[in-house]
Amino acid sequence: MKVIKIDKSQWSQGLEKLRNSFRLFGPVKEKAFHNFQELAAGQAPELDYQNTRLSPKSLVFPQSELMFNYSLDKEDPECNILKEAEKDYGDRAIIGIRPCDAKALSLVKMNFNNDQYEDPYWLNLYNATTFVGLACDAPCSTCFCTTAGCGPYHEEGLDVLLAEREDHFIAKVLTDKGVRLLESAGWPQASDDEAALEKAKAVAEEKIVAKIETDSLAAADTMALHSADFWEDISFACINCGTCTFSCPTCWCFDIQDEVYRKKGVRMRNWDSCMFPIFTVHTTGHNPRDTKLARVRQRFMHKLKYFVDKYEKGIMCVGCGRCVRQCPVNIDIRKVSALMNSLGSEAKCAVQGS
Amino acid sequence: MKNLLEHMGIEPDRLHFSWISSAESTKFVSVVNKITAKVKALGPNQRFVKQAAKVA
Amino acid sequence: MSTYTEKIREIARRLLKECQVEMVIGFRKGSMPLMNEPCIVRKAEDVDNLVWDSNCGINLANYLSNRKEKIGIVAKGCDSRNIVTHIMENKIQREQVVVIGVPCQGMIDKRKVAALTDGDILEVSEADDTVTVTTANGKQTFDKKDLLQQNCSLCTHRNPVIHDEMVADEVVEQTGIDPYADVAEIEAMSSEERWNFFDELLSPCIRCYACRNACPLCYCPTCFVDESKPQWVGKSQDPLDVRTFHFLRAYHCAGRCTDCGACERACPVGINMRLLTKKLNKDCLDLYGWEAGLSLDSRPALDVYKPNDPENFIK
Repeated sequence: MKVIKIDKSQWSQGLEKLRNSFRLFGPVKEKAFHNFQELAAGQAPELDYQNTRLSPKSLVFPQSELMFNYSLDKEDPECNILKEAEKDYGDRAIIGIRPCDAKALSLVKMNFNNDQYEDPYWLNLYNATTFVGLACDAPCSTCFCTTAGCGPYHEEGLDVLLAEREDHFIAKVLTDKGVRLLESAGWPQASDDEAALEKAKAVAEEKIVAKIETDSLAAADTMALHSADFWEDISFACINCGTCTFSCPTCWCFDIQDEVYRKKGVRMRNWDSCMFPIFTVHTTGHNPRDTKLARVRQRFMHKLKYFVDKYEKGIMCVGCGRCVRQCPVNIDIRKVSALMNSLGSEAKCAVQGS
Repeated sequence: MKNLLEHMGIEPDRLHFSWISSAESTKFVSVVNKITAKVKALGPNQRFVKQAAKVA
Repeated sequence: MSTYTEKIREIARRLLKECQVEMVIGFRKGSMPLMNEPCIVRKAEDVDNLVWDSNCGINLANYLSNRKEKIGIVAKGCDSRNIVTHIMENKIQREQVVVIGVPCQGMIDKRKVAALTDGDILEVSEADDTVTVTTANGKQTFDKKDLLQQNCSLCTHRNPVIHDEMVADEVVEQTGIDPYADVAEIEAMSSEERWNFFDELLSPCIRCYACRNACPLCYCPTCFVDESKPQWVGKSQDPLDVRTFHFLRAYHCAGRCTDCGACERACPVGINMRLLTKKLNKDCLDLYGWEAGLSLDSRPALDVYKPNDPENFIK
């Protein structure tokens, strides 16, 4: 696909034109941190950020999402009928999503769109969205995307990749959706140098110094990892909050809740977290993951082993570093992965004890 | 409880405490009258009332 | 500060070697600047993992709840007050803990550092009263007192209130401090302003419950927000449910909170929920002359009846 140049003097008028066909979302500074939100008319995305505090996953997977409405009023002819909540699945575009966050959504897609299961809520929003990425030329010290199957100029899950320069953007058009978006914006499409983009990509990748070790995870024995003796040490500090899972762009768990007010009810889903003790409580009261150790192990085993084995597409992590930066007690996935990986390279089957 | 509710923005006259013996019928009447007058003056409560979940 | 580290290691080594404790709870060096990780040390040869600096803001009393072992625990002033509260509330027995007291000089607020510097923070070092921060864009040196967590800069109980060992001589306690100026500011607002103030304050909340879980006071087997029979509070992002959580959490800390700041420190979105708990601390002090966790010999304000308890809220 082609590479074009968008002059910054044309930027905001193009964005305004886009509004005729798209609802726009982008990073905006709220109080101390950047976060993704819908852009009001005339509001431009604030692209001078490294990484948003929370990932943009809420744009396709809202933290609380309405699913159904219903009435419990016996007088109402539609009493007790679940009616799908009305949603706006019109075209929308996210301007300035980081490549890691876009790749994260394509990992989540494997879970929400596969042979066994399709999640209409997630898919409808995902399919309605055009993803305009913003390449990272100044990554954070905690970014380890290049060793997590991603990178500062990674294109997976994006429709357009932008790289910001002094007075212009270099835009690499990646999909038909991307072509349509650029046409709607009406930016004059002077072609730009693809080689320069490749060069910038190499420079940016060089800047990523943090690493995650994963090469032996696929070959490792699951039970050996599961029964490894490092989990107590890893999990001791954990306070079982949901910071890591809620800030993670690849965590997708949710919980369905009904709420009734007088005779009207709604069914909704809310983000849930495998770190919460009640996440696995059965209706019998039994909790199969009733210790902190079991919960912490589950989170890392899911991201770094079960997912790896199930989809054979690498780890369920894109290296954005949010959990590393935000964990209140400094539990670091890079450290955990290194421990799992080092065991993985030598682990024999724990079940057979050989 | 009352202090924290008020700290958070619930109007002072919404929550009342009184100690009334079962023999103090006149006190009961006067306290209830005072409370209803104060609450009526405030009008219907708009804060801390959930009609439906506000979610996306 | 580094002398603290040496002394903590020395005490921990002795306690473990002499079998006085089964484990020592302390901090090890974090993988990020301005962060240390709570950890346990079980063997004398591992005590060199233990460190102490101005990034040990997590309240370690949180890790004592319901433990059965004999434990050595590193404790600054607020931690020790929460250990006292834990003992009073039967979450741990006094005989089970060997308190390694640390006279505290205040903990650094990493958000303050981020706000005062430009660019990604790469390295932070401290010496005496100064802190040097290296960012992607250069080096800056600050007075440590300008970087302290707000609760630390207002703290008047820096020395451990109980201890079996001490890593250094007591520090001088701060005097002439008004810890409740921020609460008074809110008290001065109209009812509606206060309502709006807390709406705004709590709006970024993502209900990760880091504040609750970082708090040593929150040890209920099932928290009221997690109960489903009956369900006390909705679980969505509805602003009233979010507020109900924060309001009731604060209330459950009434007369127990030591303002250690662990909740605010843990919050990933930077909410100062201490403005709720501090109001209750202030009331407890004003009405009952009570500050939590100062002594094992007096019962908490909400636990005792005194004929002269103020009751002017009863009409």
